[in-house]
Amino acid sequence: MRQLSLIATLGLALLAGTASASSLVASTDTLGTSLAKSSKGSSNASSSVGDDKVVLEAREDAAAFVGSNGSLRGAYLEAALQHIRQQIPGLHATDMQLAEAILAL
Amino acid sequence: MHHGLRLAAITLLLAALPAAALQLQPDPAGLNSAELNTSRQLLDEVQQLLPPLLQEQLPHTLHIGWSRLPAHIMGRATASGRILLNHHWLQTLVANPQATNLPGRQHPSLRHELQATLIHELAHLYDRGRFWPPARRSLQARCRTLQKTIGHAGLPQQCHGQTNRRFTLSDDPHLLDLAGWPQETGQKGRRTANNHQQLRSPDAYERARPAEFVAVNLEYFLLDPTYACRRPAMAAYLQQHFSWSPPHTVSCPSGLPHLNAGLDAETPLARLHPERIYQVHYLLAEPDNSWAGRWGHSMLRLVVCAPQRQPGPDCLLDLEHHLVLSYRAFVEDLQLSNWKGLSGVYPSRLFILPLQQVVEEYTRTELRSLASIPLALKPAQIQRLAQQAVTQHWSYDGRYYFISNNCAVETLKLLRSASPGPALHSLDSQTPAGLLQALKNRNLADTSALDNRNDAMRKGLFFDSHRERYHQLFAAVREALHVPQQRFESWLQQSALHRRPLLARSPDMRTTAALLVLEQAALRQQLQHIRNDLKLRYLGNHNDKALAETGQLMAGLLHDSSFLSRPADLLPQGYGLPQSADWHDPQHAVQQRYDRLRQMAGELEQRLPQLLTRAQNDELTAIQHNLHQLEQRLKQQHEQQGGLLLP
Repeated sequence: MRQLSLIATLGLALLAGTASASSLVASTDTLGTSLAKSSKGSSNASSSVGDDKVVLEAREDAAAFVGSNGSLRGAYLEAALQHIRQQIPGLHATDMQLAEAILAL
Repeated sequence: MHHGLRLAAITLLLAALPAAALQLQPDPAGLNSAELNTSRQLLDEVQQLLPPLLQEQLPHTLHIGWSRLPAHIMGRATASGRILLNHHWLQTLVANPQATNLPGRQHPSLRHELQATLIHELAHLYDRGRFWPPARRSLQARCRTLQKTIGHAGLPQQCHGQTNRRFTLSDDPHLLDLAGWPQETGQKGRRTANNHQQLRSPDAYERARPAEFVAVNLEYFLLDPTYACRRPAMAAYLQQHFSWSPPHTVSCPSGLPHLNAGLDAETPLARLHPERIYQVHYLLAEPDNSWAGRWGHSMLRLVVCAPQRQPGPDCLLDLEHHLVLSYRAFVEDLQLSNWKGLSGVYPSRLFILPLQQVVEEYTRTELRSLASIPLALKPAQIQRLAQQAVTQHWSYDGRYYFISNNCAVETLKLLRSASPGPALHSLDSQTPAGLLQALKNRNLADTSALDNRNDAMRKGLFFDSHRERYHQLFAAVREALHVPQQRFESWLQQSALHRRPLLARSPDMRTTAALLVLEQAALRQQLQHIRNDLKLRYLGNHNDKALAETGQLMAGLLHDSSFLSRPADLLPQGYGLPQSADWHDPQHAVQQRYDRLRQMAGELEQRLPQLLTRAQNDELTAIQHNLHQLEQRLKQQHEQQGGLLLP
């Protein structure tokens, strides 16, 4: 559900100060979903693991991990790696291979 | 029944009765025999409802008189300790035992209302009786002595609020925290004059004074079988005080109902299960340069475990189940006003948000990091915190003051109400960082797990600002592709078309992935730019019709979204946490409001592209194109290197 993407980014825009004042601002943020995700490639792979929310949420972390050769390692990637290994117990793959696979989804 | 058994049963019954139980006696003066009978019956009914402890403490015999009070007064307790009820309503009850209640009163029938009135007045007598348990009494005496000898400033923590006690319940610090009269900061423990837990109240009179709060709540505690489901924290407090619960108490539905303020939540009306909370963290957003953000922002994070998982360290990565409690000003205007923030015009409300949304908002949009610091709370304290948070969610509508009632102050107040221990009561801080320091000093917060930044990131205890990522990844790209720009900012300042040729030269997945992150940064920056531009145009030009209409739509959307932070607006029935009797098909009712918001949002979305300038539109499209290209390239490179495919 990303139909709010534009509104989230532009609509809220009319609100002065809000972007920098989230400690004060409320409802505007509650609509917020980042446009960054609207650029998410459509998941054409029909894989079950690849469709899992926890894996999809890890895409930005995975890009940072691959792009930094493993030094930027966020919690969303960590959660996705654990999830994938739990779902596919016999899987022999490094963290980097899994992060790349997430990026290629 | 066997004779011996019967005897044992009788002995047990006798033992259960208090030694000198209270007797409620009708004062027969001015009553005819029917009135006297009804009165006696009413008093007997109430007698059955009272907690044994209260019956032991109050005088052996209490005479209840019926007198000619003004019609709107149901009863009163006199200074001499007598209770008077309104004779007029006794007459009405005799004439019609099934009489419905008076308009404007909350209890279901006139009989219940009279019972409630009597309980209310008994509560006042009990409250004035200073019936403290021996341990509490000796603590108070010790504290008073200490105050005389060493003065207020040097008092130990457990003496705060105990040196000048006058009532059994209504000046107990913990009760005041639960009831909605928290301590003000920087006022040496003085409590707020106004109670802002004002929504979904059974009786507005309860907010008049703490003594009335006690009396009204005792009415509902003793008469309403659903009280413990509606006001769980208060019910637990009273149960503990009396070491007893009313026999009629029903078992509550599992989980505390709350509204999910994230609009794309799958279930708008969710249930929080306190037993599934592994830890509570102090969640601190680092300060930024804006006027409102310069102190940072305090929140609490509930580490809720996935449904199938036992509470334990593994729950830290169940990120999609975690919730954030965030007090924020609700700003309905299109422009945030510093003056209004200082003078308390904005409502302060508790938002219950998915963690993911909060992480996104701070680390990606605002480029501020989030530190998540485990708090040393016991399971019982975590449960109380959850109860009180959800209670506030349905009842609280406060006033936001940048200085004296901001996020740090509100968060501290919530923590205090959850952990009645003395440690938090003497703690006083008005800033997010100051509060963290104070929590650390009292060993309530442990930041050691955050000392190693990389480790903390992996464990979900630190969410890095994406600004740092951008700089690190730009350095890698610069080296790999011999980018002429020295600084990331200069790279971003180029147009998307200028960046494009370089994207196609990326030799491997690593560089392409880094470029993807940087291009996402470009997109966010462009949106920020458009946002500022639209704002300036909207505020500066009142003749632009399209802009004005969109602004109005936006204001409407904001106004309509108010219920997300004030969910009490959704249902007029009942009090406290909503129960099934309060609304027919709650999911449906909430869903309708959500759908309406989404529809308005959709309408806005359609209008917005027309407001952009040609150049803004072109740049936005070009960035999207770059992103698409990078994603395709990632897939190709992955395929070429024979990368692993997820099954």
